[in-house]
Amino acid sequence: MTEAASASVLRFSAIQQSFASPTGDAPNVVISDVGFEVKRGKFVSVIGPSGCGKSTLIQMAAGLLKPSVGMVFHHDREVTSVNRTIGFVPQQAQLLPWKTMIENIEFPLLLRGMTLSERRAKAMEAIKRVDLAGFESHYPYQLSGGMQKRASIARMLVYKPDTILMDEPFGALDAQTRMVMQHDLQTMLATEGASVLFVTHDITEAVLLSDSVVVLSRRPARVIAEIPIDLPRPRDMFEPYATPGFAEAYDRVWSVFRSELNIRRAA
Amino acid sequence: MSDQMMLTSLRAPSPKQVWAPVRRALLLAAPGVALLCFWQFASGRLIRETYVSKPTEIAWRLFDLFYTGEIWSSLRVTGEELVLSYAIGVMLGLLLGYALGRSPRLASIFEPYVMAFYGIPKIALAPLFVIWFGIGIWSKVMLAGTMVFFLVFYNVFAGVRSVDRDVVNLALVLGANERQLGRQIYLPAAAPFLLLGMRMAIPYAVIGVIVGEFTSSTAGLGLFINYASSTYDPAGVFAGIFILLAFVMGMNALANRLERKLLKWQPTCQRIAAEPN
Repeated sequence: MTEAASASVLRFSAIQQSFASPTGDAPNVVISDVGFEVKRGKFVSVIGPSGCGKSTLIQMAAGLLKPSVGMVFHHDREVTSVNRTIGFVPQQAQLLPWKTMIENIEFPLLLRGMTLSERRAKAMEAIKRVDLAGFESHYPYQLSGGMQKRASIARMLVYKPDTILMDEPFGALDAQTRMVMQHDLQTMLATEGASVLFVTHDITEAVLLSDSVVVLSRRPARVIAEIPIDLPRPRDMFEPYATPGFAEAYDRVWSVFRSELNIRRAA
Repeated sequence: MSDQMMLTSLRAPSPKQVWAPVRRALLLAAPGVALLCFWQFASGRLIRETYVSKPTEIAWRLFDLFYTGEIWSSLRVTGEELVLSYAIGVMLGLLLGYALGRSPRLASIFEPYVMAFYGIPKIALAPLFVIWFGIGIWSKVMLAGTMVFFLVFYNVFAGVRSVDRDVVNLALVLGANERQLGRQIYLPAAAPFLLLGMRMAIPYAVIGVIVGEFTSSTAGLGLFINYASSTYDPAGVFAGIFILLAFVMGMNALANRLERKLLKWQPTCQRIAAEPN
C-alpha cells in the first residue's frame, strides 16, 4: 500500500459538542469524545442510536457547525468555514422547488460560474448516471421520492467532489427503492474513487456499503468500535445474507451496537 | 410504475377536459347574470329607481360616457394614480421587505416601527396627505402607495424569513456566495409571497386612490363618482363603480398571468393565492 492511498481525507480529532440548554441549565453535551478518520477512497459508515449526534458530525465536516472542542480536518486542513469542496447529500432530497430537475443538477455548476452549454453537458452526463434521463424538465413536485433522491445524488456527482458526505440519504425511502438506490450507489462509487462518510441507523445498510463501520454510543456520544468490513465487492444489496461473510460482519457490528440500545428481554 | 402513472396524467387532455373551461366560464357568469336580472326587475318595482338606477340605464350611461369622451380625462388621471401608486408601493415593499427579511439586525430595529405605522388607519390621514402633497395626483399616489407598500412589505418579509435554514446551508455547501443566495434562494422562495401581497394590494390601491379623490381633487373617477352621488345621479355612481370593477378585474387578470408565469413550479393545488376571478 502506497502512502498516498492510506492518506487521511477526513479526520475527526477529539470532537466534543454541547448545545446551550433551552432552560438555561448546564449545556447539553451531545458528543463527548469522537475521533476517527476516513482514508482516501474508503467508504466509512457511522451508526449509533438516534440522537447521538451522527448528523452533527456531518454538519461539522461540511463546515456548517464548529465543534465546541476538537477539530475536523479535510485533506489535512482544518475545516473552519463552509466546506465547498465536499459533496453533500442531505436527509431530504432538498431539490429547489422552483428549478426543473436538470436546473437543480446544474445548480452547483451555475454557482461556479460555468456557462450554460457546459452545465447542460455535465448535468446530462450525471442524469444518465443516476438513470433519470427523460425527466429533465420536470419540477420536483412531479418526481417521486426515489427520483428526487437520485436527482440530489446527481447534483452532488456533477461537480465531482473527491469527498462525499451522506446524511441518512435513504432513510425516507420505501424498502424496495432503498435497495435499488444502495445498489446503484455502490455501482456509481466503484467508478468514482471518492471517499465517503455515510451516516445511517441501519446496520444492514452500513455493513453492505462500507469498508469500515464506526459505532457511536448513546448520547453523549463516543466511538465504541471501529469495525472493518472486508466483504468482497460488488456486494448483493438485494439478498445480503447470500453474500458469504455478511452474517458474521453483521453480527460483529450488532454485538457492539446492541449494548447501546435499551432492549427489554422478551419474557 | 407509479412514477409513470403520475406523469401521464399531466399530458393529453380528454374531451371532457376540453369542455371544462366553457362550463367553468358559464358557471362563473351565472351568479352575476342572475344578480343583474334581479336588479333590472326590482328597480322601479320593489325599490325606487332613483335609489338604485337599473342595469340598462347604467349600460346606456357607460356607453354615453365613452362615446362623448366625457370620462376619458377622469380615467386617465385615476389610471395614472393607480399605476404609479401600485408600482411605487410594490417596489418599495419588495426592497424593504427583502432587506429586513435578510437582516435580523435591521428587522429587530425597524420591525416595531413598521408595525406601528401599519396600524395607523391610512384613510384617516387622507386630508393630511392633501396638505402634504397637494391637491394633484401625488396625494392620491402617496395614500394608495402606502397601503400597497405595507401589504407587499409584510408578505415579502414573511416570505424571506420563511426560507428553510437547511436549504440555505445546502446552497452554501454547493458553493453559493451571498449574492447568489439572494438571487437563487431567497428571491425565488419569496416569490409566492410577493405575488400574494401584490394581489391583495390591488383592491387597496383602488380604495386608496378613490378615497384620496373623494377627499379633495380636481379630476379623476373618484371625483366623478362623488359628483354623481351628490347630484342624485345613481346611474352615474354605478357607471363609475363598474369602471373601477373593470380596473380591478383587469389588474387581477394581469396578476394571474404573472403568477402562472412565475409560479409554474408549484403544483396548482398548493398555490397560496386562489384565483378569485
